[in-house]
Formats: sequence, C-alpha cells, structure tokens
Amino acid sequence: MIEAQHITVRFAPGEGAIGRIVGLVERRGFELRGLAMANDGPHAALTLDVAARDAGRKLDILDLQLRRLIGVHSVSTSPKTGSAS
Amino acid sequence: MTIAAPRLTDASTAPQPAPLSGARLVVQALEREGVTHIFGYPGGAIMPVYDALPGSSLIHILVRHEQAAALAADAYGRVTGRPGVCLATSGPGATNLVTGIANAFLDSVPMVAITGQVATHLIGTDAFQEVDIFAITLPIVKHSFVIRDTADIPRVFAEAFDIARSGRPGPVLIDLPKDITIQSASVEPWTIPARATEPLDEQAIAAANALISRARAPLLYFGGGIAIARAEDALRSFARRTRMPSVGTLKGLGAIPTDDPAFLGMLGMHGSKAANIAIDNADLLICVGARFDDRATGKLDSFAPNAKVIHIDGDPAEIGKLRRPEVALAGDLNLILDALTAFPAKADPWRNQCAAQKEQWAQSYDAPGNGVYAPALLKTLSERAGDKAIFTCDVGQHQMWVAQHCRFTRPQAHLTSAGLGTMGYGIPAGMGALIAEPDATVITVSGDGSIMMNIQELATLRRYRLPLKILLLDNSQLGMVRQWQELFFDENFSEIDLSDNPDFAEVARSFGIEAFTVDHRSQVDGAIDRLLATSGPVLCHVRIDPRANVWPLVPPNKSNVEMMESRW
Repeated sequence: MIEAQHITVRFAPGEGAIGRIVGLVERRGFELRGLAMANDGPHAALTLDVAARDAGRKLDILDLQLRRLIGVHSVSTSPKTGSAS
Repeated sequence: MTIAAPRLTDASTAPQPAPLSGARLVVQALEREGVTHIFGYPGGAIMPVYDALPGSSLIHILVRHEQAAALAADAYGRVTGRPGVCLATSGPGATNLVTGIANAFLDSVPMVAITGQVATHLIGTDAFQEVDIFAITLPIVKHSFVIRDTADIPRVFAEAFDIARSGRPGPVLIDLPKDITIQSASVEPWTIPARATEPLDEQAIAAANALISRARAPLLYFGGGIAIARAEDALRSFARRTRMPSVGTLKGLGAIPTDDPAFLGMLGMHGSKAANIAIDNADLLICVGARFDDRATGKLDSFAPNAKVIHIDGDPAEIGKLRRPEVALAGDLNLILDALTAFPAKADPWRNQCAAQKEQWAQSYDAPGNGVYAPALLKTLSERAGDKAIFTCDVGQHQMWVAQHCRFTRPQAHLTSAGLGTMGYGIPAGMGALIAEPDATVITVSGDGSIMMNIQELATLRRYRLPLKILLLDNSQLGMVRQWQELFFDENFSEIDLSDNPDFAEVARSFGIEAFTVDHRSQVDGAIDRLLATSGPVLCHVRIDPRANVWPLVPPNKSNVEMMESRW
C-alpha cells in the first residue's frame, strides 16, 4: 500500500504547460489518480493526487523536479486522507 | 534553501524601423545571440528560413542526416559552453533530430533546436510532413516553444538561448510554423527575467568542513557538473589543498587531469579497481557535479557503504534523488568548492593506501600476440596527440577503452554520449568539435557497429574539409553486446555478427576521404604517425581481436567491488 498524496503546482499557463507537469509526474514513477485545475490570479494551479509506484520514488524529489520546469512558480505537497493500493 | 523572485531587466533592442519577415527575424535573433554556425538540413516547412540565410553572418553546415545536425550541435555546445544550434524541417526532419535532442538532454548540454512546422491553419490536420514535434520532445527538452505570432520571434529566441545555457543546461526546441516565418512583423521591446543567484548555505558549508576535517578516508567523486559549471579550477584547487584522492565519472573525466597522481580513475561498471575499491573503503564521499548514476554506483545500496556523503550540485533536484547525503549543497560549484577550506589532517595513511593500490592495480599494456591491442593503441595515440586533442566517441567497447586508457587534461577533451549512449555520436560530434575549436586535434574513435549509424557524414567532412581523424576499431561484431552474451547469457551469441561489413577504407575513399587499414601490432606506430600528420580528414581502419573484452566489468545488479577482472 503506497499512500496517495496531493501535490499542487502553480504555474504560468502556456502551450504545453499542463502536459509538461503531468508527463513529468508519470515519467518519474508516480501514478496519477486525480487531477483538478483552477485559476489562481495570473497563474494556474494544478492539484494532482499521486501515488509512488515503488518505495524508491520520493515526493520531495518530485517536488524539486517540478520546480525545475520553466514556468512553474511553486509546488506544495500534502498527505491525502486515506490510502490507495 | 531560498530562491529569490526573478527580477525583470531590460534586454531588448530598439524596435525595428520596418516590419521584417519572420524568417529574417529568426536570422537576426540568431545573430544577436552570437551564433556563428548552424548545423542543418533544409526542407519544405523551413524553406523561408533557408531563404533568409544567404547574406547573413551565419555559416550553415549542411549535414547529410538531421540526426547528425543535432549531434554536431551537441558537441559544439559541450566544447564552447554556448548553445549549439540545429535546424530541420517539419515531419521527418524534426523526428530525425530527436535522438540528438535526447542526447543533449541526458548529458545536460546547451542546445537550441529549430524545426519547421506546417502552416498554422494546417496544424492538427495530418498535413503533409506534419508531426507534433513539440509533444514528441516534451520529455527530452528543458523547454520548448511553438511560435504562434511572428512578432514573438525575437523574444522567444532570446528566452530559448537564455534557458538553454542557464542553470543546468539543456536543449530547447523552437517549432516554427511556416506561415509565421513568411508573415512580417515589427519587433516590440521585450524583457527576459534575470537569473537569481543562490546564496551560500553557510550552515551546510560549516557542516561539510567539519566532516572533511574529521575524515580519515575522504574521497572526491566528481562528474559532468564540473564542466557545466566551468569549475575545473575550483575542483583542482580543492583537491590540491586537501590532498584528497579522487575518482571521476565518464562525463567527469578531464576535470582533474587523468595523470594526476591522486586521481584513481573512472569509477563504476568499467571503472578502475583502485577507484572502485577506494569508494568501498571511503569514510567520506564528496560528490561534486555527479548524480549517483547506476553505471557509476553499481548496486546502489552497497555503494560507498561506509561513507558519509557531502553532495554538491548545481541542480537541487539531483541531491537526495538516489542517495541521501549527510550534507547537501546546491548552487554554484565554484563558490561552494572555494568555501570548503577544511583539511583532513588524519588522512595520510589513506592517501598512501590509495596511491599504493593505484600502482598495484595499474593497467598492463603488454598483451600477448601480434594483433593490435586497442588499449595500448589508444594510450599511445592519446599521449602523442597531446593536450590539444579532443576525443569524440561512439558507443561500445571502444568508448570504454577511450575512457580507461586515454589521458585528458580538460573535460572538453572527451566528448562521449554518456547518458543516452548514442551509437553514431562520434563522427557528428567530431564535426561539431572541429567547428567549435578549429585548432584542436579532433579524433573520433569509433567501432564497426557505430560508424555505420552516421557514416553518411563522411560526405560532410569532405565538403567542408574538416580534418577529423577517425580511428575505427573493427572487430566485425557488436563487441559490447557480444561480451555481455558471453558473460551473462551463456555464450548464446545472438545477432552480433558483422563479418559482412564493407571494406571501410574503400568506403571512406569513395567519399573522398584518405583511408588506410592496419591489422598488425607492428603497424601501430606508423598508423599513429600518419593519422596525426594528415592535414585533411582521414580514417584509420584497425582490425582487432573479436574476442577482446573490456575489463574490469561490474556485473549487472552487483556491487562495484564484485568486479570481474582479466588482464586481456
């Protein structure tokens, strides 16, 4: 059982921006279980429910990898209530 | 760690007096960035840009396959530190760039790749030569743009170059719909954000200095991040003042000269025994600009089992990714290394032990027989080529032999496809290196498998009279695959036979390239003389023993200390 977590990414809307974020999350070993998007002033905010595919995948490293994307302004993570297999 | 908010600075030029076509704006943007050479291949959607090239200051190198354009741009970027530029048309032109873009991405090389695209109104209609190269390359670029408005061209190009070369460098793709390059626009002033500088983490510096001063067996483990940060001087100064033994990754080779007495060699799968044993015995590992890559670490949980780790990197996302360090230092490698002033005063026995093991386990070159022994040939060639040499490699056994047996006094002297492992990198990389540094003695070491991947570029060498020296080590097999099948697949040799290779010397001559073949040890000295003395492009075809293996070798999923060894 690997616990699902929320990760919220605030970013500048632009062509490819969502694809970059979602693609990176999946490519770096996290299963995407939910997704919601909202406007946040000049930025967009994408909230993802993610679960690591194995114990070697670390959310704090994913956080840093997301911050590395051009146009990403901030990333925050929080545990999700409950767990998923 | 805090990162200051970006600050806007005026980086614009004065508005143009009259509207210009998008293609002219592209050319102007490249000139403004100081680009002198572009590697490319024309085609339908990019034709307006090609129409604007004549009369500009840009020199276009017409390759014979777009993959070579990207790989040459990659090498140019590695040597100069400035983004290499490649240019291709839409559809297959763009997809042919993909391997080269991925190569640059995995090795953090600054590159700007420009692709033509079908006209805006045709995008998404499956038009002729339409592919979504923007989407195809999303996982292998640092960033990418589709330009939707001609007036955006100058700003987007400025941003693309800034992104490609800043921080951890990487490739940036610009997709240019054809109509955007045909339409005209006036240039508006634009701004690009200034880069924030990382303040030194003084607390972490103090913690690192404390670990260094207490260490009895400290070891410096450096990688390609040194070249990216142009931090060779800082690294060498640190190594000198701490008198610390060091090991390097494939990409790090040359950051500390390979003949430095305290340098123990490359670590990892084909690393030296002295390097891998030192890693195992170290009580402190100072990792600088390296990322605990699986080829370097072997089985990760048994890598440096007794060591505390100080991890220093320009990219915070690399720290802790695979090994949690005791001290993390992200930022400018030069500043961080200069701040590490502690001296490991109790490490003399360790220094002596490392030096003795380096001598004890040094490579022998007196292989039996009369055939050409590739490691000895490479060692001699490298010594005679001197400090102005740049070696570019293909991928396979020869690539590892170059890393093991050639001497490098700077990281830019060793251009190798480390992350992606791209067969076919060698000759295009040699072209890029020669354009970047025309006075260098550029030597491509290739294999008979790899050379066929981009052999068409012999025509480019001939066209531009690029004096590339190609050393082709021919064992008539896919040697590294054969070695693995021999050792780990019960000698079940499957699809590795290349005994129907063409006569490579004849092939080279048919392209107008001087070429000759050697197959006996007694011919080696003369071959090196001729290779180095030839003023134009030249290919030296060397037949080697097909049973030759690369040693040592760490088997898959094994610890580095479980390396397999054999003398020959």
